[in-house]
Amino acid sequence: MYGRKACQLVKELACGEKGQLTQFNSDLFEQVISECQQHHLELQSLIRKVQEEGFDLQTTKNEDHFGALIHHLALVRNKRCLMAYVYNRAEIIRSLIWKVVGSMIPPEIQEKLCNSEEEYFKKHSARLKEYMSKLELDLTVDMVPPKDPYIQVRVLDDIGEGIVLSDDKTANFALHSIHFLKRTDAEQYISRGLMEELRG
Amino acid sequence: MASSLGGASMSQTDDFEMFTPTTDVEPLKRAWRNEKAAPEILPFEGSLVGRIKEQIQSMEETIEEYSRSGIDPLIVSLYQMDLDRTQFLLRSYVRSRLQKIEKYMLYILKSDELFSRLSKEEITFTDRCRHDMKKHFDESVLSKLPNNYQDILRQSITSEEDDMVPEPPLDTFVVCKSKEYLEHIQLEDEEERASSRIEEPFEMEANVLHIIRYRPIKSLVESGKIDLL
Repeated sequence: MYGRKACQLVKELACGEKGQLTQFNSDLFEQVISECQQHHLELQSLIRKVQEEGFDLQTTKNEDHFGALIHHLALVRNKRCLMAYVYNRAEIIRSLIWKVVGSMIPPEIQEKLCNSEEEYFKKHSARLKEYMSKLELDLTVDMVPPKDPYIQVRVLDDIGEGIVLSDDKTANFALHSIHFLKRTDAEQYISRGLMEELRG
Repeated sequence: MASSLGGASMSQTDDFEMFTPTTDVEPLKRAWRNEKAAPEILPFEGSLVGRIKEQIQSMEETIEEYSRSGIDPLIVSLYQMDLDRTQFLLRSYVRSRLQKIEKYMLYILKSDELFSRLSKEEITFTDRCRHDMKKHFDESVLSKLPNNYQDILRQSITSEEDDMVPEPPLDTFVVCKSKEYLEHIQLEDEEERASSRIEEPFEMEANVLHIIRYRPIKSLVESGKIDLL
């Protein structure tokens, strides 16, 4: 049935957890693309047939005309579904980029992307970075309204020692150690999942 | 002598403290709230952002000076908190604009009105983002489709207008209040008014909360008469 596969593709989006990426379904994606090409072939052959029979394309309303119309509409619908799939994924990708601007793509995200998406991820991330450096404003911190300038955090990963903080002091962020830090210093680690905030 | 000097410098900082909250942090908070709540991008508050940046810098210097000169850490941390809040406002303001650009860049580039609301940096950002996004779409979908179906803005060449551009939802409901008494607000579009018999002009008292569609009050938000919350 026409359009069934494209519908499955979009359903996959709709069923996914909000804000989470699923594996790019290149198999199904390619099938929809080839369905589009098939539609186009049928469409062209019908148009040729109308022309060969000597009818005017604009005014003729015979069965071939409506056949062609159905192929056209099916193609356009498939295109919308494909675009929606890529567009909505791009939106999720952008929201993920905000968490890791300027750093490498985390492997658990990378494995879910197709080539073009990976390229887009890198470029868009670079764009945001460009903008921030032009404005001289780091937009990746302060994602939530600040309550207290200092927060208590626990280190979840061995970040290492000798890390310079904004007040020019160095800290040793060993695994499981607990620190009392400036929120702005801690935020970048929290967003990358390397620290967690301890709430009293 | 020493005490009078100290007094003078204290009153100066007092003036500074009195000065900032009443002038620029409040307008920034307003701009931020409006930007957050409006479905479309609003005019960029360029001069306000410029002033706020200067003030943030001078606050940073003040705080540094205080912490060096051994003033009670509690006081310093209060100043720090104030600074942090201002910085949050600024960042969040800029961020929510970027997020709107990311989302509606095709629409913004099409509309002269919206395009003119961007700052210089935002324009560069929008152009480049559009380029990246187009490339991504071309590579993943459009180049694989038949010839007449490759446009990013139109479904096919038979479409008479750009019918694949995501638009901001202007008919969404917003919470708002007016600063002054406003009357003769038309809540319905032309067509709706023609079909419905109710011809009651809508009025807003100052400081009363209303929940209405964004589109009819759009121009009032832009002219600053109505604030979104």
